[in-house]
Amino acid sequence: MMRRCFREDNNKTVHRMFKTVRLLLPALIPSWNFFDIIAPSPRVQFALLDSEHEMPQEWREFRPRPDHVSILQMLGRLFWNAKWNESMYVVSCAERIMEQPTKHSEDEILGRIIGDLNEKLLNSLQESSAYLQFRLVIVERQGDDTHQDIVFYSRVQPILTAP
Amino acid sequence: MTLDDAIRLTEILLGFAFVQQSLEHLVANYAERLLFSARLLLAVLLIIGFQTVWTSALLLLLGLLMLLRFQGPYNGGADRMGLLILSCLCLVAIAPTQQWKEVAFGYLAVQLVLSYFISGWVKLVNKDWRNGRALRDVFQFSAYPVSESLRRWVAYPRLLLLMSWAVILFELLFPLALLSTIGLLIVLVVAAVFHFANACLFGLNRFFWIWIAAYPSILWFQQRFVIIALSH
Repeated sequence: MMRRCFREDNNKTVHRMFKTVRLLLPALIPSWNFFDIIAPSPRVQFALLDSEHEMPQEWREFRPRPDHVSILQMLGRLFWNAKWNESMYVVSCAERIMEQPTKHSEDEILGRIIGDLNEKLLNSLQESSAYLQFRLVIVERQGDDTHQDIVFYSRVQPILTAP
Repeated sequence: MTLDDAIRLTEILLGFAFVQQSLEHLVANYAERLLFSARLLLAVLLIIGFQTVWTSALLLLLGLLMLLRFQGPYNGGADRMGLLILSCLCLVAIAPTQQWKEVAFGYLAVQLVLSYFISGWVKLVNKDWRNGRALRDVFQFSAYPVSESLRRWVAYPRLLLLMSWAVILFELLFPLALLSTIGLLIVLVVAAVFHFANACLFGLNRFFWIWIAAYPSILWFQQRFVIIALSH
């Protein structure tokens, strides 16, 4: 029994080491193929629900971009751009889900939406809603126009218990 | 620029880039705040030059923890460049001879050149980049433009075509800057302006700071190898 536990621990350690090397390798031997192709782009939309089994009625875009950003704001963001960088991380998580859904990426997106709700950034929406669900919509070009497709629905998450 | 000077300057610039990144995370959740507070402290130690070998090693270890925490880089290429610079600094520190130190730091310079050249090459071989369609796509529907008003740039295809070729040619021809001392300085200023524009238009502020942190390596590399080779 003890030997089996020891072997499982060893396997976990080896797995974690292998995973770390796999994550580090692209930094040590980078591919540098920035913007080589412009892939379909994910958008995160969320809905607030009163109960776990309610069907979402209204989907809202998570952190829609402003209509205009002034030059002064752009200069300021050179030093402080926390929200935008977090939004870019959410896009990365969405892209990872599109490749292969993982609980980690789903949790990260749910956590960031709940974070905004708690920060009252979305307080006009929160009201009495107790649950949250998000979906991923991909935007891609077809001819000269853009086309949207829904590719993923998250689990329904209680807002009070962040993942 | 001597190897020691270039390494010290890299440490300082990297430290500032990490301070900027870490501050942005101090408004995040508790676990993230904890990780980035530690990074902030180590980055300050790196700037002031306190036990830089150990500080770099700890920063690298922290970088690995962050890779595990976020299951990959938080900020894509910027995080990867940060890890690359840190890894090279750590290799320089443990290198047994001066020659191996130069190999480790030279690797960073070579990767910096490749970061521009390969980016240019992958665009050149893509028809959509050559005809300006790819950059129109970036503005039309990608996640990057920081405002809706920037999306309206898609209405200026000729401007975007011109911008596409300017980027492709600049990135592809970047290695030629190594042939001239003044040329390299000018090209690095243009490269910094390019990253500045990306920061303004697409919010990629971290790329601006972290790529500048790698510039001392190429300045040293040029003087150490290229200029000497050319003079022979």
